[in-house]
Amino acid sequence: MHEKTSSMSSGPSPSPPTAPTESEGGREYAVDLHDVRKSYKGKVHALRGIEMKAQRGEIFGLLGPNGAGKSTLVKIMLTVVRPTRARGTILGRPIGHQATLGRVGYLPEKHRFPIYQTGRQAIEFVGAMSQVDAKTCRNKADELLDLVGMSDWGDKKVSTYSKGMLQRVGIAAAMVNDPDLVVLDGPTDGVDPVGRKDIRDVLVKIRDRGACVFLNSHLLSELEMVCDRVAILVQGEVAAQGTIEELTSASRRYEITIAGSPPDWTDHNGLSLTSLPGPLDGTSTLALPTAEANEIQDILDQLRRENRTIVSLRPVRETLEDLFMRYVHDPETGRAKAPGAIRNIQASKGGDA
Amino acid sequence: MRQTVALFVDAYRELNHRRLFWITIVLSGLVVAGFAAIGNDEEGLTVLHWSIPFPFVSTNFIPEADFYKFTFAQLGVGYWLAWIATIIGLVSTASIFPDFVDRGSIDLMLSKPIGRARLFFTKFLTGLMFAGLQVAVFALASFLVIGLRGGDWEPWIFIAVPLVLVFYSYLFAVQAAIGLVTGSVIASVIGVFLFWFVVSLVQTGDGITLAWRITNEISSERKIVRVEKQEGRVMDTSARLVDLRLAADGGDAEAADQLPELELELVKKRERLDTITCELAEEIETLDLSQSINGWFHIANTCLPKTSETIDLLARLLEDYAGLMRPAAPADDTVRQFGEMVGRGEFQERFDAELDASHGPFWILGTSLGFEALVLGFAVWRFRRRDF
Repeated sequence: MHEKTSSMSSGPSPSPPTAPTESEGGREYAVDLHDVRKSYKGKVHALRGIEMKAQRGEIFGLLGPNGAGKSTLVKIMLTVVRPTRARGTILGRPIGHQATLGRVGYLPEKHRFPIYQTGRQAIEFVGAMSQVDAKTCRNKADELLDLVGMSDWGDKKVSTYSKGMLQRVGIAAAMVNDPDLVVLDGPTDGVDPVGRKDIRDVLVKIRDRGACVFLNSHLLSELEMVCDRVAILVQGEVAAQGTIEELTSASRRYEITIAGSPPDWTDHNGLSLTSLPGPLDGTSTLALPTAEANEIQDILDQLRRENRTIVSLRPVRETLEDLFMRYVHDPETGRAKAPGAIRNIQASKGGDA
Repeated sequence: MRQTVALFVDAYRELNHRRLFWITIVLSGLVVAGFAAIGNDEEGLTVLHWSIPFPFVSTNFIPEADFYKFTFAQLGVGYWLAWIATIIGLVSTASIFPDFVDRGSIDLMLSKPIGRARLFFTKFLTGLMFAGLQVAVFALASFLVIGLRGGDWEPWIFIAVPLVLVFYSYLFAVQAAIGLVTGSVIASVIGVFLFWFVVSLVQTGDGITLAWRITNEISSERKIVRVEKQEGRVMDTSARLVDLRLAADGGDAEAADQLPELELELVKKRERLDTITCELAEEIETLDLSQSINGWFHIANTCLPKTSETIDLLARLLEDYAGLMRPAAPADDTVRQFGEMVGRGEFQERFDAELDASHGPFWILGTSLGFEALVLGFAVWRFRRRDF
């Protein structure tokens, strides 16, 4: 692996190209960020040393409560906001490298197309701004309108569109330049369940084409369904990062619900059991902290030997929502961490609740 | 280039979408139609088939082609384009930059491979399309009217296009900067009109104080001549008095008789000299004041864009290059202005000479464009440094 990064501070500036950075698996990192910081007037610290990597050919989800710095991070990647300090690359080039932006598709949060444009014109305009030639823009507009299910609406003014239709056209516009990195900030906001399913399918298609989809969303269930890897941002810092599998592995367990009271033994062959009240009256639940099915067979045998009725058996894993809630809550106070950026470093050290 | 073309095409769509643009085009058409309906003949003004006896605009005083050129420069451009169409244009374009920097639209633009400075300047130029198309259509229609009705196909008419565009750009630069900084349409509209008002006040102030200064200069020069003449009279009388005294001392009884009368005359002449010397001192004090105030106004005017004077250049250029008749010199009578009696001819001659010297085309355009460059420089600096 050879990794070269460049640093920048206080604004994007043209820098010499660097070699593409590669992940351990040999795939090029689409996003490779180091020590990304953003503070406003030295007092409000929106981002505090972000380290983040997203590979090509994956859907990467960025989670976090309101004001955690997600949109700021996305905007820094796309040169909309100037970082206080940042090192790293986007598609193997330094952050802010202008030509690279032509290989990036972007759907901003609460994006707004001019009301005088039609859907097709909006897509073609974004394509032209990404330096795609006119003929390709026209062809891509047809293809993408079809892909997002807006073929019949392409020549109507965007002022007549619903929120969901605007999102669909926005996603189409983000793809007009065949990007290697697609950054979508709240792509399913305001979209109905059918539309969300369509959008998820589109995202998978983009990923399968080899591009990286960088998703910023509040809809955890949506992200859980499509994301290969996620990062949780809390108060301007990455609280956790990895595949959902990796992040939730520690919480994996089996839950056995039995009729009657729990057994008086609390461990079996080194595997400790936790007794919980059952979901129904007269039942108890035994929680076993393991992801391996063969490790619980002996316990099942023991329960049968004791003539206990097994009501249910299910593997349990934290949902993304559980994981998210775990990270955004202060373990000491049990309360949600204060939303928004950190006003000063002392405040963050002193507790935010 | 592809991006620039896309931005211009998009700006045209935006203009096309704005009703005010089409309303202004229709009104421009009506103005040109009105322009075509009037004319002049040997008796005076003509409106369609009617003739209104108004000898001062008859062809005996002003040739038909000049009548149209003059009307085009003074009324068509001077009033319609430089005032009414500009007001409509500034209202119509006020939302361009606030909309441009609005969250949700600017994010997408800045994420594209185009530098912020280039993006800003291209957007600024697209905003000038409103004025550019209006003045181009108006100039073309006027060219046809002057050609068909006045029989003079004058290409210099099209000099109005860059001049009006430059004039509009001074104001639009200010509007763009306010829109960019505040993101508010209302602030853009109020700000630019307030600025235009201040600029107009300063230009008017510069013109009025220049007239005041020149009046004072003429008056002071005249008073200096009067003082010098009075001093001459006093010296003559003093010399005569000395001679008379010598004669009287020599026993000339007639001379001795004349002495008191001459002494009295000398006293009166000295008193008169003292009076006009005091008046001269006051005049010079007023002249100093007028020079100082005019100097400050001129400095302020130099720093600000010259809107009216830029439009006035059109008449100057048409006079110099398109054979438009120059206004007749005023009659050489005396009028009272700023409390002084001055010759109109002399005043006008000196006023025009001063204008030529201190308000030349290079000064007008150079300093105005310099101001515009500063405003745009500030705006682009802010735009480049700002987080959205």
